Amino acid sequence: MLEKTGIPTKEDIKSITPSEERRRKGPVAVIECFQKIPCNPCYTSCKFGAIKEFKDINDRPVVDFDKCTGCGVCVVNCPGLAIFIIDETYSDTEALVKIPYEFIPLPEEGSYVTALNREGKPVCRAKVVKVQNAKSQDRTPVVSLAVPKEYSMEVRFFNINDYFSDNTYICRCEELTLGELRELIRMGYRTLDEIKRISRAGMGPCQGRTCRQLIMQELAKTTGQKMEEMPMTTFRPPVKAIKLGALAGGDDNE
Amino acid sequence: MKTVEIAVIGGGPAGLSAAINAASLGAKVAIIERDDQLGGQLRKQTHMFFGSKEQYASTRGVDIAVMLQEELKKYQDNVDVYTDTTVLGLYEDGVLTIEQSGKYMKLKPERIIVATGASEKFLAFPNNDLPGIYGAGAVQTLMNIYGVKPGNNVLMVGAGNIGLIVSYQLMQAGVNVKAIIDAAPRIGGYLVHASKVRRMGIPILTSHTVKYAYGKDSLEKVTIWQLDEQWKPIPGTEKDFEVDVMCISVGLSPLAELLWQAGCKMVYVPELGGHVPLRDENMETSVKGIYIAGDVAGVEEASSAIVEGRLAGLCAAKSLGYANEDFEKMKQEYLQQLHSLRSGPVGEKIIKGLSKVTVQGGI
Repeated sequence: MLEKTGIPTKEDIKSITPSEERRRKGPVAVIECFQKIPCNPCYTSCKFGAIKEFKDINDRPVVDFDKCTGCGVCVVNCPGLAIFIIDETYSDTEALVKIPYEFIPLPEEGSYVTALNREGKPVCRAKVVKVQNAKSQDRTPVVSLAVPKEYSMEVRFFNINDYFSDNTYICRCEELTLGELRELIRMGYRTLDEIKRISRAGMGPCQGRTCRQLIMQELAKTTGQKMEEMPMTTFRPPVKAIKLGALAGGDDNE
Repeated sequence: MKTVEIAVIGGGPAGLSAAINAASLGAKVAIIERDDQLGGQLRKQTHMFFGSKEQYASTRGVDIAVMLQEELKKYQDNVDVYTDTTVLGLYEDGVLTIEQSGKYMKLKPERIIVATGASEKFLAFPNNDLPGIYGAGAVQTLMNIYGVKPGNNVLMVGAGNIGLIVSYQLMQAGVNVKAIIDAAPRIGGYLVHASKVRRMGIPILTSHTVKYAYGKDSLEKVTIWQLDEQWKPIPGTEKDFEVDVMCISVGLSPLAELLWQAGCKMVYVPELGGHVPLRDENMETSVKGIYIAGDVAGVEEASSAIVEGRLAGLCAAKSLGYANEDFEKMKQEYLQQLHSLRSGPVGEKIIKGLSKVTVQGGI
């Protein structure tokens, strides 16, 4: 719960999420401010009257999504850095999420970063589409990330390191990279077994303990399969690498 | 012995605002600051402030310090600025003893506005004297004033606004904050600050406190444990953090020594951080001519300190005859601003505390 952990609950988020219909129309501000505190710059900075008038300085912001243009002025004026712009019209498959980011170094436009959720957990790889750092922003740069549409209400921060890079190893024993895995999935390999047979992932010394979960996650993410429904590979002995001599020596009882 | 109409003790947000208002009305003001620059805690506040336009919302504290000093400069004919100057004593006859860069002197003001601020509270646990254990404010000074990195891995104790903000600033400085813990079952600071550090991956552990600090020459490890609903530690819930820095951010106490010396009537008010003086709505204490503003009057946000300073400066000047026709209008405006800053749920505690020490219509 938010007051104990700092993480807004699903209900909290639901209560401030613009309707799907509105999100289909273009960029819009999402204000994640769930506590009555004496603060009103979002309201006073909005030139479109899209944030309902504060009768009291402790009022919580309420966005009139029909008036909001997603211009982002409130994002850099919010002392709590609690405002994000999402734009689900960015492309057929991707949404833009604009995040206030007061850290150096700033990411380069065109680079890839690791998008994080409200708990700071990695969600996906994201392309940095734009970095805005105008004087009027007063040292609160805004970074626009392109993320799969379904993550527009999930991604709220990022790590500048590209942990989901194509060069990242999925199977360290047999040296399968994430890029190669993605290519295999794109080519139509859709089960763990198929991927194992074509790439040898899972057939090395660790016997899949590193890669199995990661391959399943990538399959789930890119093909929509459910982890619990995925057919597993066949498990055969030995479960760890042993010396041929141990086998050649035969059973101790024989 | 030097004399002045109004001595303002402390050059932070409250003192600067008090000096500006008093000097703007024509009073001769001496503002006395123990640091080598005016600005107080504002100087290290790199984050944007809350509040509304009147209290510089959305502006960074460090910039507010500059803006207030620019404003003070407009009335420089009426203002003497003493930096690197500490008030040592405030005597019953109203004389201030002062040390300025190693020199001793006395000053006899007609009115005094005490805006000395607050100091950080400490926490008792084994080995709390190890180097590497700091007040969170000290770490902020090291980083944001002197540009010194305090260490590499930090455990923050206290999830109030200072703990949350300093954690964020540590991360900005490239220092790894391992966790933020707080003995209280709920986060005390603004939840937007909490969410801001949480989405960077910093866990916030409420109902946790420090059990033990370890280290040979300096801090190496901290053991924390969980507290039950009666705030009693639960054995078996221990967790270790390998850190070289621990920041203690468990609240502030008003720096009220001078007010005690002057004989002001003091009351212990936990909601306001400790002992604070009785005051009327003009911010005047039980000792005629001694006014207060900012954290020394009760620990709050800088936004309220600024408004209290403006109010105290206005009223102290008025008592010397520097009135303008807008006096009553301005006073009501400041009281209204204070009221609205405190009117929400987070201000309930402050209002409760103030009700114990505010005397209507003079003391």
